[in-house]
Amino acid sequence: MNERDDIIATQGITIHMGPQHPSTHGVLHLVLDLQGEKIVRAEPDIGYLHRGTEKIAENLLYHQFVPYTDRLDYMCAMSNNLAYVQAVEKLLGIEITERAKHIRVIAAELSRIAGHLMAIGAWALDLGAMSILLYAVREREIVLDIFEMLCGARMTLSYLRVGGVRYDFTDGCKEACEKMLEILPGRISEYERILLGNRVWVDRNRGVGVISAEEAINLGLSGPALRASGVKWDIRKDEPYLIYDRFDFDVPVGTNGDCFDRYVIRIEEIKQSMRIIRQALRDLPEGPFNVDMPELVPPPKPDVYNNMENLIHHFKYVSHGFKVPKGEVYSSIEAPKGELGVYIVSDGSEKPYRLKLRVPSFHNLQTVRHMSKGMYLADVVAIISSLDPVFGECDK
Amino acid sequence: MNGRTKGFNLLELIKKVVFTDFVKGLSITLGYNVSRSITQRYPDEEKWIPYRRWRGLHYLNRDAEGRELCVACELCSKACPTQCITVVPMEDDSGRGIADRVAKVWKVDLVRCLYCGYCEDACPTRAVRLGREYETACTDLASTVRRREELLVPQALAENIEGGVLVKSRLVRTPEGIKVEPDLRRHKKRSL
Repeated sequence: MNERDDIIATQGITIHMGPQHPSTHGVLHLVLDLQGEKIVRAEPDIGYLHRGTEKIAENLLYHQFVPYTDRLDYMCAMSNNLAYVQAVEKLLGIEITERAKHIRVIAAELSRIAGHLMAIGAWALDLGAMSILLYAVREREIVLDIFEMLCGARMTLSYLRVGGVRYDFTDGCKEACEKMLEILPGRISEYERILLGNRVWVDRNRGVGVISAEEAINLGLSGPALRASGVKWDIRKDEPYLIYDRFDFDVPVGTNGDCFDRYVIRIEEIKQSMRIIRQALRDLPEGPFNVDMPELVPPPKPDVYNNMENLIHHFKYVSHGFKVPKGEVYSSIEAPKGELGVYIVSDGSEKPYRLKLRVPSFHNLQTVRHMSKGMYLADVVAIISSLDPVFGECDK
Repeated sequence: MNGRTKGFNLLELIKKVVFTDFVKGLSITLGYNVSRSITQRYPDEEKWIPYRRWRGLHYLNRDAEGRELCVACELCSKACPTQCITVVPMEDDSGRGIADRVAKVWKVDLVRCLYCGYCEDACPTRAVRLGREYETACTDLASTVRRREELLVPQALAENIEGGVLVKSRLVRTPEGIKVEPDLRRHKKRSL
């Protein structure tokens, strides 16, 4: 592993990075084989946060599983909600209302902004630029305030439901979104000025953790990290779900596939998300935000209090849930971290027979080994941060 | 050609030595140093009043005549994804509840609760609600189980108070420990 043969190789040592290391984004445990200060082999050891989410789903009614999806990628819970409810809806074969589609797009893009802000902030903190974390969390707070107004929670949102959304998108939320769209561009250019002006930060990212497009595809990399390698693959564009095909936005693509490109892609994606939100807010139609199917969405509360038929529907929905036709389905969305897929096997009852989650953090993490080979120990921190794994999701 | 390259390098070197790149970034940081602080001085000076949809600590409602709205139908415990709500019904025609069926036991285990609000959605009589109380930290497991008697006490924030604001607050010493007492008379928006 020496650059020069005339230097005598030192004895290799193995060190454990994590699970309590402050810059491993939670509970990542890396076993690093070192030769001097260079990485010979980096092996992620995961599972410290395993909670058996997939098994839990088999014992819950379809609508009861939504709060558990919040706990997967807790930095952007809305995307997880979306992936799950979309899979169930695909299995049911229903079409949601136009207003619900717009609300879902806005919610998903807001959570993408929140997720990317946290990713950039934590990344800069890991590499020693602490002020960015404080600024990014301040802007994230604006997004979380919108979530709080919208659904009453800041992180564990449980906002989407099979057949629509749980609460209406009020005018207050619309105003708050517009305010955010006003504030955010200026703040993001501030981050760029601080980070691109920081020689240390740029040098620790440029040329570090390079992965070629071919290798990235072979390893199942997805999301911003894949696009940084030059592969133009965004599920929102290539396999449009909801109404993404109606909006005008660009998919940023990198060239070098290093950590710096991944940073540039994330910043650019925040800007594109703002563009999508602006268009979705403009087009937001009036109308119902839930499908008109009493077995999937119980009637609104005032009707339940006064009407016997509605009360019966309500009791039936709460105590028995709804039956889903026999079959299996795979549905995926472009979550902030990559392709988030949900695979459901249904046996025709009210509970899934089997639920499998294709989580981006898990698949992205296996590239750490390839990216960090031959790099210095300090580069591993940058590589992990640039992949932005979240362990609620990775360990499920 | 050679001289030009050399001069260019010298300029770069001077730039590096006097840290022009850092100065750009530092100007922003220093600018924030003198601007107004956005820090919330919680809990001793300010407190955040959540929006009205906030899903916090549960409470049980009464109707205008003071009768309990809960009819112990057990839908909330059925809807709960974590089975954290226990309801034991009993018969009582003394007018305690709006029906003859009332809850003998209604308790919620707050450490199991996901605060998803499904119990609130499931309730056919609007008896159980998730309120805007969020200071639920405690040091013993026994006080994480809230019973009917405690939950029937109205919460400090009534449902009709508009949220999403900061109010003045102070710390007060009570027999149960130190509490944050908000002053709802004057409020302001959070500065972004």
